[in-house]
Amino acid sequence: MAGSEAPPNLKLLLIGNSSVGKSSLLMRFTDAQFLPEDESSATIGVDFRVCKMEIGGRRVKLSIWDTAGQERFRTITSSYYRGAQGIIVAYDISNRETFDALPRWFTELDTYVTPSVVKMLVGNKLDKEFSRAVSEDEGRKFAQRNGCLFLEASAKTNVGVREAFQELVEKILDTPELWAPAAPRITSTATAKPQQSMPGSIDLSANAQDNASSGCSC
Amino acid sequence: MAHTASEWTLASDDAWDSASDSESAYRSPPTTSKPTTFTSLSSSTSSTRPIPVTPSTATSISGKSPQTTRQSTNGDGLTGSEGYTHVLAPSPSSSYSQGILGKPPSAAGWTMVRSPRSSRMRDQGADPEVENEVEVDMEGSVTEVAMGRNRRIREGREAIKYDVEDIVNDPLHAVHSLSSTEYEERVASGIGHPELQHQHAMKAQKRQKFVDCLTAENVDIAALRKLAWSGIPDELRPISWMLLLGYLPLSAATRKSVLSRKREEYANLVQLTFARGIEGLDQQIWHQIEIDVPRTRPGVRLWMERGTQRSLERILYVWAIRHPTSGYVQGINDLVTPFFQVFLGGYIDSEPSLFDPALLSPTALNALEADCFWCLSKLLDGIQDNYISGQPGIHRSVRYLAGLVGRVDAPLAKHLKAQSVEFMQFAFRWMNCLLMRELSVKNTIRMWDTYLSEGSNAFSEFHIYVCCAFLTSWSEKLRAMDFQGIIMFLQSLPTQTWGDHEIEVLLAEAYVLSSVWHNAQSHILKGE
Ligand SMILES: Nc1nc2c(ncn2[C@@H]2O[C@H](COP(=O)(O)OP(=O)(O)O)[C@@H](O)[C@H]2O)c(=O)[nH]1
Ligand SMILES: [Mg+2]
Repeated sequence: MAGSEAPPNLKLLLIGNSSVGKSSLLMRFTDAQFLPEDESSATIGVDFRVCKMEIGGRRVKLSIWDTAGQERFRTITSSYYRGAQGIIVAYDISNRETFDALPRWFTELDTYVTPSVVKMLVGNKLDKEFSRAVSEDEGRKFAQRNGCLFLEASAKTNVGVREAFQELVEKILDTPELWAPAAPRITSTATAKPQQSMPGSIDLSANAQDNASSGCSC
Repeated sequence: MAHTASEWTLASDDAWDSASDSESAYRSPPTTSKPTTFTSLSSSTSSTRPIPVTPSTATSISGKSPQTTRQSTNGDGLTGSEGYTHVLAPSPSSSYSQGILGKPPSAAGWTMVRSPRSSRMRDQGADPEVENEVEVDMEGSVTEVAMGRNRRIREGREAIKYDVEDIVNDPLHAVHSLSSTEYEERVASGIGHPELQHQHAMKAQKRQKFVDCLTAENVDIAALRKLAWSGIPDELRPISWMLLLGYLPLSAATRKSVLSRKREEYANLVQLTFARGIEGLDQQIWHQIEIDVPRTRPGVRLWMERGTQRSLERILYVWAIRHPTSGYVQGINDLVTPFFQVFLGGYIDSEPSLFDPALLSPTALNALEADCFWCLSKLLDGIQDNYISGQPGIHRSVRYLAGLVGRVDAPLAKHLKAQSVEFMQFAFRWMNCLLMRELSVKNTIRMWDTYLSEGSNAFSEFHIYVCCAFLTSWSEKLRAMDFQGIIMFLQSLPTQTWGDHEIEVLLAEAYVLSSVWHNAQSHILKGE
């Protein structure tokens, strides 16, 4: 199995306009599930998920904060940038407005995170090719200009979701200064009571409805 | 170890347990019916399966068996004969209610007694075409054995009350729609079990008090508050809420004209607002509403219906435009749902959450929408700080909650701090959606009976005590968890099986907290 050192605990954040599919991308990744339109509800404030992942023989633990996209919530959601090593910025390829809003999201990013934090731009709802409003090329160019990774994905049809998280995490692992010395808070939490069973992680498996296949394996 | 509800043993104070049903509880004013001691929900880790209810351990004071509580309050299909165990905690206040109603149920999993509203559902195979069968229904079965699953539920158009137009014009008409003598007679004739007969007599008496109060020429609002604090009978809830919110005048003389004026006013607002079509709307606000409306109460039939969604859009948009400092904020959509379900429930004899409102006449539908709009406006008037820029109301509430928990349950507060859990991480949503993401609409409706009785500040102040009681009820469990466990647990709390009983325990506890800490509020806020 993996190396002997404790797996790094990485903190990721999902941002982007309301309804572009941030929560759906996350649920697809952690629970291998997709809720259709009439079964999902809007995120209020922030949601939190954790999962473990193995990349190139290395185990990592991900703590992922999923934020609500509405402007009014910015005052509280912006506090979640603190300590994040990776950020996923999502837009909806079938909705121009969500792409046009990206500069605002990147301005906010520049305010709250250091330049070394890894960013990944995800154009979601790739299954809606028939009503595409943003070309792949535009997306890629925007990502390049802003120094971030890029992928198109569909939470619905499970295309590119795992890859998005994987690439992001790989890049973070390639940037040791992001996680090796720092991450004091999460590390201390994880190691504070090693003797104690951790209900949280058990709870996680209880919450995951389908553990069988997922980008997020334990 | 999944944190399912089955792990919980409810140790409840019987005085409170009985509050919504027992005569003694509702007869006395809230100040005396609210308990002075209680045992909060406590966790039991010893059992991973639901404890089968046996007569010796599970005496629900109100005479309801736990199963019936669960079934009648949660509405969705119930399972077998296992459920909560209500453990009687000894308490000084237990004597009187035990004396009245303390007999244990004769067997686990027995009869479910219907409320007057649901009593018209029945299990005969009525022809859906036959609309005029209300008389038959009125004489129909009063009780049904819960085990009989083949009970026929009135659906669609046939669920609409025969006197719906009267009720639309005058919500007080609901009071006459089914007189209590009629109800009592039916109760007496239909039930063999003395326990249930008794329970029904209690209910009928409680109902009569409401009726007396509501039919007065000038409603005594203080008296109505006292009554409503412990829960309002379903069919009297629409008129009661409208009065408690100050939407309807207390004087019967002006009520009908005020109501029709308000509805007309709303209709005009809608017409004016949407006069230039969708293009004429504020696109940013409209867009946010448009994407949130289909995500409101996902999976519930009522909220998936086109008609409901269009109504909701109009209500939210008109409210947002009229309140430019806050505009529409995600979560406000949730707050419409209790009103919609309660007022719709006044017009039909079936479960509102399963009904397609498009079946109502346009008059009834417009009235429903207008009433929801005005009542939502009244509610939001008290918590607008929660939704304006920076959401100062929420920040203040969360700060107060943190301070309160620090005093009420210091070990928990300490543990949360040690694990770097910030109150904002979970309590933001509790304030923004008034716990509606944590509780069912049915639970919320029961909770609002009490909030509305507490007065206009309840949604900003009393609510914080409820949140404190809510959080500390899981204290033991939370104190055994780490950061991740805590956040995950608080994100999907095991409240799915909660019924009136659990809500009433919560409210009782909140009441005590508010009496104890209210005067220290400014201290607590400063101290943190
Ligand atoms: N067609 C399609 N719909 C999606 C996809 N991802 C999410 N959705 C839908 O878009 C809506 C908003 O998704 P949600 O995850 O709540 O968005 P968020 O506000 O960014 O978290 C929901 O109705 C989802 O079902 C996708 O990949 N394809
Ligand atoms: Mg979301």
